[in-house]
Amino acid sequence: MDDFLQQLPHIDQLDIRLFAAAVNASSNGVVITDHSQPDEPIIYCNRAFEQLTGYSKEEIIGHNCRFLQDSDRTQEQRGILREAINKGEHCQVEIRNYKKDGSMIWNELMISPVKHPDGHITHYIGIQNDITRRKEAEMALESEKEHLEERVQERTQELQESEAYLSSIVETIRESLIVLDEEMRVLSVNDHFCKFFKLNDKEVRGKILFDLGNGQWNLPELKDLLFNILPHDNPFEGFELENEFPAIGRKLLVLNARQVMLKGKYEDRILLAIEDMTERREIEQRKEDFISIASHEMKTPLTSIKGNLQLLQKRAEKNGHQEYGSGFETTAKSIARLERLVYDLLDVSKIQTGKIDFNYTSFSFDQLVKEVVQGVEAISPSHHITITGHTAVDVVADYGRIEQVVINLLNNAIKYSPGSKSVAVHISLLAGYVKMSITDSGVGIHRRDHKKIFERFYRADQISEKFPGVGVGLYVCKQIVKEHKGTLWVESEEGRGSVFNFTLPVNQPRA
Amino acid sequence: MNQKIVICDDEQEILDITQMILEDEGFEVIAVIDSTLVEDIIERERPDLLLIDLWMPRLAGNEVISALRKNATIQEIPVIVISASRDGKQIAYASGADDFLEKPYDIDALVEVVRKRIA
Repeated sequence: MDDFLQQLPHIDQLDIRLFAAAVNASSNGVVITDHSQPDEPIIYCNRAFEQLTGYSKEEIIGHNCRFLQDSDRTQEQRGILREAINKGEHCQVEIRNYKKDGSMIWNELMISPVKHPDGHITHYIGIQNDITRRKEAEMALESEKEHLEERVQERTQELQESEAYLSSIVETIRESLIVLDEEMRVLSVNDHFCKFFKLNDKEVRGKILFDLGNGQWNLPELKDLLFNILPHDNPFEGFELENEFPAIGRKLLVLNARQVMLKGKYEDRILLAIEDMTERREIEQRKEDFISIASHEMKTPLTSIKGNLQLLQKRAEKNGHQEYGSGFETTAKSIARLERLVYDLLDVSKIQTGKIDFNYTSFSFDQLVKEVVQGVEAISPSHHITITGHTAVDVVADYGRIEQVVINLLNNAIKYSPGSKSVAVHISLLAGYVKMSITDSGVGIHRRDHKKIFERFYRADQISEKFPGVGVGLYVCKQIVKEHKGTLWVESEEGRGSVFNFTLPVNQPRA
Repeated sequence: MNQKIVICDDEQEILDITQMILEDEGFEVIAVIDSTLVEDIIERERPDLLLIDLWMPRLAGNEVISALRKNATIQEIPVIVISASRDGKQIAYASGADDFLEKPYDIDALVEVVRKRIA
C-alpha cells in the first residue's frame, strides 16, 4: 500500500492516506487494474484480496485478473464482465474463482471504472466478496428444492398409477359399482353400471339412489340396510332385488354394500356392488324344470317295465317255471333302484323349488322303525339289522317322508358295508326328541366329507368308483329332517364304519 | 258275466300292460287312449269301474271325472286315478275319484285296489 501510495500524486494529502488505510483494512478484497497499460495489469490489491485468493501481492501485481478463473473459462459471467469493461460500465457478478491451492470460491465481484476527466477509463476497481458459504447454502437449498419437487412428482405419479390401477380394476370388473355418500347420493358409478343399466354417467351422478329410474331402488328394507352401514359399520351381503328396470326389463339383482375402508376424504362413503343374477336363476330354474320333467317322463316307461315284469313273473309262477326266478328278482331290484333314483331326483327338484309338501300325522316311531327294518331286511338278506332301545312315543311327522329317511339310511349302511353282515339300529327318547342311530362297519367317511355328503350331487372321492349313485339320497334325507326341525349328522372315520344319527322333535313346533 | 273296466291313458304302453294285468285277473277291459271319448263310452258300455290317468293332452282326467259326477245316468261309477304325479292325489280326490294309485305301480297293489271297488 505504501508503495502504491508513493506512486500517487500529492501523497502527503491526509484524506488519501486515510482512504488508502481504510481500503487496506477492508474485509472485502480490493484490486485495481490499470487500463492505460496493455492487458490491464493489476496494480494494487489489498490484504483481504491476498487472504481471499491465497496469492501474495508480489505474485499478482502486473498480472491480468484472469488467473483467478484458472481453467474455468467458459462461465457466462466472464462475458458479462468483458462486456461491461468494454462499455466502461459498472457491473456485479457472482463468479467462480480459484485460489492458489486450486480450491474454488464463489466471488461476488463488483467492478467500477475510474475515468479521467476527459472520459476515458484509466483504472478499474474490483471489489471481491467471498460468498462461497452463502452460495453453497443456496445451492444446497436449490438441490433440496429440486429433490423435493422430484419427490412430489414421484408421489404424484405413484398416486396416479395407483389410482389408474384401482380404476382399471373398478372398470374391468363385471359387476356394477356405485359409490354413495351418507345421504345416498350417487358420487360415481363404473362403466359396467352404465352399460348394464343403459344409463349415462351424467344421468345418475349427484342423484339420490332411491330417486333413480322409477324408484326401483326405493325399497324400505334396502333403505334401512343402506342407512345402517355408516353409523354402525354394518355391511350387508346378498340382498335380493327383483324389479322391472327402464330399458333393460326385469332383473334379479344381488346387492352387497360396505363402508369404504379409508380414513379421511373417503371415510363416509358406501360402496354398493350389484350382481346380475337374472340369467343364473333362469338357468337354475331350467335345470330344476329339466330334472322334474325328465324324472316324470321316466315314470311312464318304468311303469310299463315294472308291470310287464311282474306280469311275466306271475305267469311264470302260475305255469311252474321256476328257472326264471333269479332273473325276475335281479330285474326287480334294478327297477326298484331306478324307481328310488327317480323319486330322489323329483324330491331334489321339489326341495329346490319349495314345492315339497309334508303331511303331518301322529304315529308310533318305534313301529315305523320296526316296519322299515323288516322291509329292508326282506329286500337285502345279506345283512342282519338289530334294533336296540325304544322311544315308546308317538311323533308328529310325515310318515312317508320319515320312512324314506330311514330306508335311505339303512340302504346306505348296507350298500357301503359289503364286507359285513350286520347293521345296528339304536333308538332313544331324549328331552322331547326321538333319536335314531344307524351303525355300520363299512368303508367309513373321511372327516373332510362329513358335511359335504349332505350336499346335493356330492359324491365322496373314495366311494364314487366302487359304489354307484348320483349323490342325492343324503341331501334329500337332510332336507326332510330339517323340515321336521330335527338334525341329521354323521360320525365316522375312514375304514372304520359310520354312524348316521337323526333326531326329530316328538311334537312339531309350530312355525 | 265278466265285470267290465274302462281304462284311459294317453300312453299306449300303459294301456297295454294295465289291460293285460286286468285281463289275467278275469276282467273285461276296454282301453281308451282319447280321454274325450271316455264319457260316451261309459254311457254306452256301463262298465263297473273306470281307471284313468290325470295329465292327458286333450282332456285332463280330473275334468273327465267331474263331468261323470254331473252326469246323472253314470255318476255312481267308481273311479280310480293312476298318475305318475304324487301331487295328483289331492286333485284326483277333489274331482270325485274314489282311489289313487301312483305310477309305477305294483300289479298286486293295482289288483287289490280294483277288487276293493268291484265286489
